[in-house]
Amino acid sequence: MPNIDRRDFIKLVGAGGVGVGAGVVLRESIKHPKEHLIPHVLAPEDYSSGVATWYNSVCSMCSAGCGISVRTREGRAKKIEGNPSHAVNQGGLCAVGQAGLQVLYNPDRLTGPLLQSANRGSDGFTQITWEDGLTRVASRLDVLRAAGRGNRIALLTRGVGGHLAELLESFAEGVGTDQLHHYDYDHPHALYAANERFFGKQHLPYYDLSNTRHLLSFGADYLAGWLSPVHHSLGFANSRHGGDNRGYFVQIEPRMSPSGAAADEWVPAKPGTEGILALGLAHHIVASGHYEGEDINEWKDVLSAYTLEKVAEETDVSESVLRRLAESFANASPSLAIGGDGAGNNSNGVDTLVAINALNYLAGNVGEVGGVIFNPDPAGATSHSRQANYQTLAQLAESARAGEIDVLILNDVNPVFTMPLASEFKAALAQIPFIVSLSSFIDETSALADVILPSHTYLESWGDAFPEQGVGFSIGAVSQPVIAPLYNTKATGDIVLDLARRIGKPMRWDSTEDCIKDGWNKIYQESDSNTRTESFESFWTALLKAGVWGKKNHLKTDTSRPNANTIASIGVDAPTFSGDAELYPFVLQPYRSGMHDGRAANLPWIQELPDAMTSVVYGSWVEINPKTAKDLGLTEGDLVDIESVEGAVRAPILVYPAIRPDVIAMPIGQGHTNYGRYASNRGANPLEILSPLVDDNSGNVASNATRVKIVATGKHVEIVKTGGKSRDLGRDIVQTTGGDDHTAQTNSIPITVIPT
Amino acid sequence: MNVSIQPALKSLQTAALIAVVAVVGIFVGYFIDFLITDNPEVSAPEQPIAFSHKIHAGDNEIPCQYCHTEARRSPSAGVPSVNKCMGCHNEVATESPLIRQVSEYWENKEPIPWVKVHDLPDFVHFTHKRHVQAGIACQTCHGPVETMDKISVHSRNNDGPTLLASTTGEIMNSETSAVAATQNDHWEMGLCLNCHKQHDVVDGKAVRVDDGGFDNGLDCWTCHK
Ligand code: SF4
Repeated sequence: MPNIDRRDFIKLVGAGGVGVGAGVVLRESIKHPKEHLIPHVLAPEDYSSGVATWYNSVCSMCSAGCGISVRTREGRAKKIEGNPSHAVNQGGLCAVGQAGLQVLYNPDRLTGPLLQSANRGSDGFTQITWEDGLTRVASRLDVLRAAGRGNRIALLTRGVGGHLAELLESFAEGVGTDQLHHYDYDHPHALYAANERFFGKQHLPYYDLSNTRHLLSFGADYLAGWLSPVHHSLGFANSRHGGDNRGYFVQIEPRMSPSGAAADEWVPAKPGTEGILALGLAHHIVASGHYEGEDINEWKDVLSAYTLEKVAEETDVSESVLRRLAESFANASPSLAIGGDGAGNNSNGVDTLVAINALNYLAGNVGEVGGVIFNPDPAGATSHSRQANYQTLAQLAESARAGEIDVLILNDVNPVFTMPLASEFKAALAQIPFIVSLSSFIDETSALADVILPSHTYLESWGDAFPEQGVGFSIGAVSQPVIAPLYNTKATGDIVLDLARRIGKPMRWDSTEDCIKDGWNKIYQESDSNTRTESFESFWTALLKAGVWGKKNHLKTDTSRPNANTIASIGVDAPTFSGDAELYPFVLQPYRSGMHDGRAANLPWIQELPDAMTSVVYGSWVEINPKTAKDLGLTEGDLVDIESVEGAVRAPILVYPAIRPDVIAMPIGQGHTNYGRYASNRGANPLEILSPLVDDNSGNVASNATRVKIVATGKHVEIVKTGGKSRDLGRDIVQTTGGDDHTAQTNSIPITVIPT
Repeated sequence: MNVSIQPALKSLQTAALIAVVAVVGIFVGYFIDFLITDNPEVSAPEQPIAFSHKIHAGDNEIPCQYCHTEARRSPSAGVPSVNKCMGCHNEVATESPLIRQVSEYWENKEPIPWVKVHDLPDFVHFTHKRHVQAGIACQTCHGPVETMDKISVHSRNNDGPTLLASTTGEIMNSETSAVAATQNDHWEMGLCLNCHKQHDVVDGKAVRVDDGGFDNGLDCWTCHK
């Protein structure tokens, strides 16, 4: 025992004291904290603490308009499921729909109105009050409107359907502008144009995948993105389940999509030649006597140039395959041909989709169950008539550059991200003196705003939807708030209504709810008075409870025929591409992976969701054929610059066997510079380097028509993916056998009969 | 040359002593905290209003579920809304200073921030609904609430038997009182297991198992899911 002197004694007392203190702190910190039980002041009727309440509503993450049922507890949304009664999704829901909760609870959501008090585009946003924000906007609008210069106000919104679309329409009218544009990157402009030309219909028909026995899909990734993926998945499952009558699915596309992987046959035709291929099949169907209509001679004339021999040469698909496809398509009944983004977003996109319509017509699929069925006119507004294509937006940019736009109102729309750099859209916006955004997030476009008046998310607000691609009969659904607003935000409709009041042009509704209810009252009044409920109120209650409304009014008998002029106009030119084929040897196919057009990139669930084909998470990649990779001496993870005439993006190589050697593919959605912590500074955005090559028939950019070259950077990164090798490298890990083989083998197995 | 390590060791010894004293101090501090904050007086926390279960459930024999209405239909028993309090206290004892406090909350449209006494860790899944519907009396776990002026998680001072409702709903003495009462002291897994070991559910009601060897509800994931 050492002698303890005075100093040591003080040290010991100190150590003891600190120890005791630490002990108390330790226990206090690991002890269960004091919790409170906060009761209601006045308990709501439909609420039991601890018991879930479900609300039916509508998913607004894309334009498919699936019905959702949201589980809420203690006033918080906990889980989103599909509404089983909704004819579009029948209880199903895609990953983005599931991730809707992360829009609601996203830490990067704006919690109140903001004013840009430093330079535009900087993060100098400061909090302001709603009164301040609304006054600032209203005063700008009022000056212009009063001076009769309302047309210097432009409204740009994401595709909004239903009665909210009418509300926006009425607002635009009030301020005196016709510059109201809806914009979704993936709006199928070409498909609308083709259907209008061939069938004379303003709306999309219903493609009955569910009942078809033979599907020819031309670049339509119907399972993962095209039009209404959840509905198509159900149809696919239904058509493919067991039995002798199982549907046969063919996917024609240069890069295998999830739908291609699920198909029976994948046909990698040359990009942009899908329409020529379709006409080749049409030629064979007519020439071989499968078609016997009165107009057969007109068809013979127009198709005479598309002999299988010539088509085989142009499409790089052998004559025998073409013949087989044509035969099986014509013989199967019902059969169906569909054309998606892969076919429609080319320089000859509309002609291609018209050719696909012709194929349906010649095979007798129009107006047939399992074929193309026309939808009745939707019961409410859809956004198509106001959808801006590339040309419209370029026009808007032009007006902005010319100083013809004074105020731009943005609603949850991000064209700066989806427009090619070549359009100089961002620079054009900078010319507009005053920009106000109603978005919930600061994305690339909202970052340019002077004032942000953040709106509620779809789970907090009223709305309704009339799905454009339909289900063959009238359908609509109401979107109701499933929880009280989390933050100091307002419903888009209410902001607009408030602005209208402030500029002395009040609309006939008091609130968004009022507007939606009013719209449905009209639907109620127009319905059959014998079968409808007693009063509108009881109809409304039932509607909110069910979450969906429909009417049995199939138009199966409508078999619109193309006239002689239409037939004569059929023909598909060889596709054109931007960039010299020598200098830029590859055709770039930007495709939709899990992030939609990039709007889902700020949702961590979607970021960590492995891509369906490559299993890559959290990033971008460039898919190239193994042969191309070998020629260029590249392996997985090599960082390359993908260069077009317009610019370059950088991403790592992913060797992907199911792509043509002359094509490379990149997923859309990453490469954000803003849009919150999960989205920004991750991956690359291939849309940036697209050439503004436009298909004049649709007015939209031909996004599959840009040629690129691959420039190695010498750097290497690790691609993060959940799958290891996609091939077993001769190790025979997964042994396979063909169907016939299998039967032969099982038949040859000796069966031992056990005597009883 | 003769080198001694003694001087170096000496300073080390002092350092070691200081370390030992500090470590002992931690234990002492931890224990002191335990003594101060874990005796029944303290763990029956002050509530914003000195509500007495004895007056309500004991003297006036108001059934538990009159106020805790959710107990039979929800995982949580539910705390009555302020409106519920006022339902009676618009008429009853309106002049009492405590009731004045309640009306003040009601007039300000503010909830009363009760302090939670009975708490299970988040990794335990417990549902009132099943237990109440199976006929388990509230007192089985919560102790004789009707005798408590101030709710306490401990039942150390409670000599009364733990109660179990019979299948007909009337409350009877349970032979397991001794065991249950000690388990009750800590609201730990033993409290649950003890009962789960000895009861089976027949036609939705909890009934005693006559001879041991019984396994219903003993899976880990009955509670940890
Ligand atoms: S398909 Fe579109 S509407 Fe349907 S769940 Fe997915 S994101 Fe929502």
